[in-house]
Amino acid sequence: MKNGLARDLKKQIGKDNVKTDSEDLLAYCSDATHQSIKGKPDAIVLPLTPQDISKIVSYASKHQVPVVPRGAGSGLSGSSTPIKGGIVLDIKRMNRIIDINKGNLTAIAEAGVVLARFHKQVEKENLFYPPDPQSMSVCTLGGNVSTRAGGPRGVKYGTTGNYILGLEVVLPDGSIIHTGGSCVKQSVGYDITHLMTGAEGTLGVITKVTTRLLPLPAAKKTIIVKCRTTEQAAIAVSDIIAAGIIPSMLEFLSLGAIALMNTLISPPIVADGEAYLFIEIDGFPVQIEEDAKRIKYVCEDVDVMEIRVVEDKKEAASYWKARSSLYPLVLSFVKKVIVEDVTVPRNRIPEFVKSIEKISASTGIAIGVSGHAGDGNMHPSVLMGDVSEEMEKKAQDAIRQIVACGLELGGSISGEHGIGIHKAEFILQEMGARQIELFKSIKKAIDPEGIMNPGKIWIDGDSV
Amino acid sequence: MMDIVDYKDLIDKCSHCAFCEAVCPVFKEDLLETHVARSRLLIIKESLIDHHLPVTRRVKEIVNRCLLCAQCKNACPAGVPVDDIVIAARYNLYQGKRSPFFKRQIMKHIMAQRGKSDFFRRAGAFATKMGLDMADLPQIKRQSFSDMYQGTYAPKSKRRAKVAYFAGCATNAFYPDTGDAVMKVLSRNGVEITLPEGLVCCGIPALSEGDIETAKEMMKININILSKTDADYIVTDCTSCFMTLKEKSLTIIDGSDAIRQHAETVSLKITDVMSFLNQTGLTDDFPALKETYTYHIPCHARGMADLMTAPVKLLSNVDQARYVILDDDNGCCGAGGMFFTEYKALSGAMRDKKCRAIRQTAATTIVTQCPSCRTYIQAGFGNDKKVTHPMVLLARGYGLYIV
Ligand SMILES: Cc1cc2nc3c(=O)[nH]c(=O)nc-3n(C[C@H](O)[C@H](O)[C@H](O)COP(=O)(O)OP(=O)(O)OC[C@H]3O[C@@H](n4cnc5c(N)ncnc54)[C@H](O)[C@@H]3O)c2cc1C
Ligand code: SF4
Ligand code: SF4
Repeated sequence: MKNGLARDLKKQIGKDNVKTDSEDLLAYCSDATHQSIKGKPDAIVLPLTPQDISKIVSYASKHQVPVVPRGAGSGLSGSSTPIKGGIVLDIKRMNRIIDINKGNLTAIAEAGVVLARFHKQVEKENLFYPPDPQSMSVCTLGGNVSTRAGGPRGVKYGTTGNYILGLEVVLPDGSIIHTGGSCVKQSVGYDITHLMTGAEGTLGVITKVTTRLLPLPAAKKTIIVKCRTTEQAAIAVSDIIAAGIIPSMLEFLSLGAIALMNTLISPPIVADGEAYLFIEIDGFPVQIEEDAKRIKYVCEDVDVMEIRVVEDKKEAASYWKARSSLYPLVLSFVKKVIVEDVTVPRNRIPEFVKSIEKISASTGIAIGVSGHAGDGNMHPSVLMGDVSEEMEKKAQDAIRQIVACGLELGGSISGEHGIGIHKAEFILQEMGARQIELFKSIKKAIDPEGIMNPGKIWIDGDSV
Repeated sequence: MMDIVDYKDLIDKCSHCAFCEAVCPVFKEDLLETHVARSRLLIIKESLIDHHLPVTRRVKEIVNRCLLCAQCKNACPAGVPVDDIVIAARYNLYQGKRSPFFKRQIMKHIMAQRGKSDFFRRAGAFATKMGLDMADLPQIKRQSFSDMYQGTYAPKSKRRAKVAYFAGCATNAFYPDTGDAVMKVLSRNGVEITLPEGLVCCGIPALSEGDIETAKEMMKININILSKTDADYIVTDCTSCFMTLKEKSLTIIDGSDAIRQHAETVSLKITDVMSFLNQTGLTDDFPALKETYTYHIPCHARGMADLMTAPVKLLSNVDQARYVILDDDNGCCGAGGMFFTEYKALSGAMRDKKCRAIRQTAATTIVTQCPSCRTYIQAGFGNDKKVTHPMVLLARGYGLYIV
């Protein structure tokens, strides 16, 4: 059967675009959720056009072969891993930026375009595409749409979902649909565009994306705030928001995080506070000055240790570069990290942070709290010095408590990474049985054979 | 470290974050994840360390299809030394016998003679047999650098420092103009130069082959000689020689080696000649040259900010010379030492991109401090544009006659 599959796929789209050597299959087993191998694909397919994809999914539907779309494989929920085998559809070669429309403030690009390249092209035109997952140097637009990726700029600008106006999607039956369009206002029936957004490849394969753009902010400024305690930093965050200031980025970093990030920061931060806020404000210069002043007042009010406006652009860039490298940096120092994505309403951050510290103490496992505090997306990270059965147990116990606590505070189990396999066990708690039933009926209507990325989002995901 | 098994813990540091996808020139050509550092590491671990995967031709291909450009290492937040791991994997796979016997013999001869072997000159057929395209190779010069200069040279102006000059093989045999420029410019700027006798190749060609034993032999010969110099610095003109003498020697010659102490002393003294001049400053009259140039950053220069920016900083002293930035995301030119002889189409595609980006600029001259990049990019342009070493441009700015 497997030889037959390779032969059939090669016949469909040419032998150079199909890989079946075991080394290639191994390379496509996992995403960025640590190296552990979750499931092996039977074939890798590298399509160039929606028509290629149409042929592949039609074939897969007919023969009930799982199809897992994949961008950069930088996901943090295991969502692009082929846990049921089948075909991994690597979209990265579909990477043309088709149109940047200054007159309409929109752009059209293929799903395999790497986000950083998209940013660069758009910014060359003095335009701005805000979503900024910290993996932007590698992650793809298709992956971003499928996970509703966001980043530090979420606090002011929202996440990917807020910028998607239309999509080209290949459905599991091979049909190619064009949802939404280039109009910034659309009110036509069910919103298929946003049904596909965040679907993690379980409903179809996204091949083109139409995005909204903004004018590029005229200026920006970085402010670093050093706090005595974690709690003080958490209070400063909710006070900044309560004061009606909306920074373009508002990141919360623990002492441990700063110690690691200092390897990339020049000159390094004197790390004598327990928590730090990295803040960026953007807009017109006058407005920035005003915002900086107000942030200063708020922080002085909570009596933080130090507030510093970074004037040097290079220095500011080194802070943000270090911030984006935090996750892999942490891994250079512990054996395994589980980055949680629980998000809470911003006024509940102080309580959330306190609870995490308690959970860490009671389970005896280190939990880092550094994250996009400005939008409540705190990324508590379970840090494992070694990987043993006992450690894994403790980690799972801690995660369950973190999730329960987040939900109790009115939060959500995922702010931006999506559900994949790692968060699937918690989705029922957040959505309730009736909504999961709805999920399943939607899935059945669009993908009756259940070939698209089976086993994801909810635990019995493949049995539609 | 030589044994691949010793790298297990370092491989385990890879978080699979995928950041290496943003920089790996090989991956960027075909966008196949098998060819990016995180997958190379996984496959090396599975096949050569844990033996879960047989050592197939594909495994070898994955280990070989790497430029050893270290871009991934520079981008890796966990600091995984991917290039060292690939070298150790090649050592494990081939025990120094990656290339056919006659090619190895020739390489050995060339390395011992610091590139002076006239194998190429005598027998183009030999080169062809080695898979080398004569059009991509530089001409061996009748007079090598070591024919031109030997011994110690007093400065032409007030003495400010004494350096030992490690002229690389390529400078010696193919680009004596680089050496000539280094000698003349240093001398005019008050630097006494000594050329230690008996030096051999830095060892990088052997390392690339995974022939760690030969590389180590070369390193030991050089370290023994260089550790005896009373010079303040040991300057290099080539980024790969710099990297090998400064860093790789300390990876290969570990604490258990009797010569380790010397290796450390030498490593401390190793300085790139342009960084050295930037640090000490030019004392000679200001050079001037009407020239529009761009700078191709060799991959091996990207690991250190100082090394990377030194040429442009130095040339900013040249009046009337106009520097134009190359907007190509710092792409690799495809040379990768001798990589281009093995993967012609792959390297060719990288070079095409590089040449296209250069053509987009107003530059008529391209400077780069790596002889391999220099040769390969020059071949991409033919006589259309001039690729040269930054020191040669500076020397021309002084109005010096350079061979
Ligand atoms: C160091 C690091 C930092 C990160 N920081 C952030 C962050 O700040 N914010 C954030 O949101 N995320 C972050 N992530 C997670 C990850 O980068 C994002 O989820 C990103 O959107 C994934 O994009 P990708 O191209 O890698 O997709 P993949 O990981 O390849 O796929 C993700 C999901 O999308 C589906 N998919 C991919 N392409 C398509 C397509 N064309 N059609 C249909 N389905 C598709 C896959 O099946 C899978 O379910 C980070 C990851 C790392 C490693
Ligand atoms: S950048 Fe480093 S840690 Fe990240 S995947 Fe590549 S090798 Fe691994
Ligand atoms: S050394 Fe260069 S070619 Fe090799 S894996 Fe790293 S980036 Fe890619």
